[in-house]
Amino acid sequence: MKLFKTNSNDDSRDARQDKNGFAALKRVFQIRELPILLYVLGLIVVFSFITKGFLSIKNFENISRQISTIGIVSIGMTLVILTGGIDLSVGAILSFAINIGGQGIVHGWPIWIVYPFMLFLGIALGWINGFLITRINVPALIITLGTMNIYRGTIMVITEGKYITPIPHHYNFLGSGIVPFVVLAVVLALFIFITLNTRFGRNLFAIGGSELSAVYSGVPVRQFKMIVYVISGLLSALAGMILVGKSGFIQPQAGIGYELNAIAAVVIGGTSIFGGSGSVLGTFLGSVLIGLILAGLTMMAVNPYWIGLITGILIILAISADAIRVLKKAKG
Amino acid sequence: MRKRSEKVLSPVTSQRKILYVLGMVNVLIIIILSFLSPTFTTYGNLTAVLSRMSELSMLAIAETIVLISGGFDLSIGSIMALSGALCGKLYVMGIPFHIVLILALLSGVAVGGLNAFLVVSLNLQPFIVTLATMSIVRSIVYGILKGIVLADFPEKFLDLGYVYVFKIPLLFLIVVGTAVVIIILLKKTVIGRYIFAMGANERTAYLSGIFVNRIKFFVYCLSGLICAIAGLLFTIRIRAIIPDAGINAPLEVITAVLIGGTAITGGKGSVLGSLLGILAMYLLLNGFNLLGLNPFWNIIILGIILIYVVGQENILKSLRQRRLIQSR
Repeated sequence: MKLFKTNSNDDSRDARQDKNGFAALKRVFQIRELPILLYVLGLIVVFSFITKGFLSIKNFENISRQISTIGIVSIGMTLVILTGGIDLSVGAILSFAINIGGQGIVHGWPIWIVYPFMLFLGIALGWINGFLITRINVPALIITLGTMNIYRGTIMVITEGKYITPIPHHYNFLGSGIVPFVVLAVVLALFIFITLNTRFGRNLFAIGGSELSAVYSGVPVRQFKMIVYVISGLLSALAGMILVGKSGFIQPQAGIGYELNAIAAVVIGGTSIFGGSGSVLGTFLGSVLIGLILAGLTMMAVNPYWIGLITGILIILAISADAIRVLKKAKG
Repeated sequence: MRKRSEKVLSPVTSQRKILYVLGMVNVLIIIILSFLSPTFTTYGNLTAVLSRMSELSMLAIAETIVLISGGFDLSIGSIMALSGALCGKLYVMGIPFHIVLILALLSGVAVGGLNAFLVVSLNLQPFIVTLATMSIVRSIVYGILKGIVLADFPEKFLDLGYVYVFKIPLLFLIVVGTAVVIIILLKKTVIGRYIFAMGANERTAYLSGIFVNRIKFFVYCLSGLICAIAGLLFTIRIRAIIPDAGINAPLEVITAVLIGGTAITGGKGSVLGSLLGILAMYLLLNGFNLLGLNPFWNIIILGIILIYVVGQENILKSLRQRRLIQSR
């Protein structure tokens, strides 16, 4: 800057403009979700060159249907992880809601009772998680590991392992076309708004940053943590309803492995596993990234056995990037 | 001075109490089941339970060491499958079997080393690291086996499953042997005490001159090795290796280990407790099978026990603290 000072007359304005432009650019680069957004875009470009028909509406519709269930579960998981907790029971809650709620279908209940009942089950199980975690004061990992076993066992005892197979066709609406993705988008928008613009949302970050400080600052930590687990349960049940619509049947084993996939999406999306920092949008992009890779590799006829390998490497890359950022910050 | 010694002793006594309680629970289960089902106390059934629990017991030993050191290992089940799968695949490729065995065991050490490398060098959270390696290793297992069940092993190797020493299955004796070695390692050697110290407070351990990073490498590699042995036991027991071997193992094992009184925060735990936890799990499962009840009652009960055991300890602790404050 100093070099040009003598040459230019209105250098001050220039400099300010320059500075502003630079600052804006810097701000863009500081967006947490930027790297993952670039990964997503890069992947779309790469796959569209490598495979024929990747850039088709039908394909994107397929991908959107695939990511919608895990995306919705991951958003709930994000809120939980933001507060410094974890919810291993999401898959079990999903399965519990649709299997026990599905007993209503067997008994011929109408859809407008069955759907609210499923959501209610999700809320109830999430509430149990939250209650135990906040009252017994044991790490969420242990409580949700325990409740996962309890919920899964209860499902198997009640259903005796039976599928609920011919389900009325109007249940398929939630899983048809772009409906799952629309649901995901609505949930996403809602929770981006909640986490960024409400007192509840901002306090989630505070709780994750330091629970004790949050308590001393007058944040109703217990109550908010309860709400977070209830939301996680509710969203799991919602994802389960979409899963029913997509698959057309209900199986007791539904949602096995969802907890780990959801955690993967959250972590890839840049949310810190220690809580306190992260974003719902990042999680969404994380699940999009996993979905894109899955779809792209399938279209390239890569053996599906290797998908776990790629997800694992992605997780490690994502958290190493985060760790390196923290290390740099500590140094700088 | 006396107060301090009490404080130091209290975790040990609570540890003993958990062991007693768990032992009693096991005895109670055995007594109840022997009344309810005549086949339960037969020699055949009891030895079947012992050999069935062998590989999960090995995984529990591995997980206990890692948890005591303040780490976490979700990759145990995948390592188990990897060792079995490698064993089968390399043998089919015509490599001499003793070399195959060594390579299979080394694969476990290698994955453990990878875990440790990521945890140590990049300072990453063990939970996420092993979540990732779990997925990676499982994927490699699928790639090796390509979805097939491999049953092509030397007969001599598979027949180890039928070997009984003093009427006890050899598989279970291997578990007992490993447990004894690990208990001695943890309780009687310097490294063992370092592991406890590191788990209790890593910073303090580091400042006291313990090479924390080396201990971490040791812990994860040892865990990998034990899981690889578990893979061999699994292969011997079912006389084949399946791609999904041990896919639910992490959660089952961690449940049992935590029931056994090992703290998830590190620095506290016992191998014996973990084994008693696994034993209770399998006795219950066996009992439900014999009585013709839904075996899934088992996991409900385990979940409740898990929350109760861990929670009760916490409640007691908070009560004790409250009493201390009041007495002052």
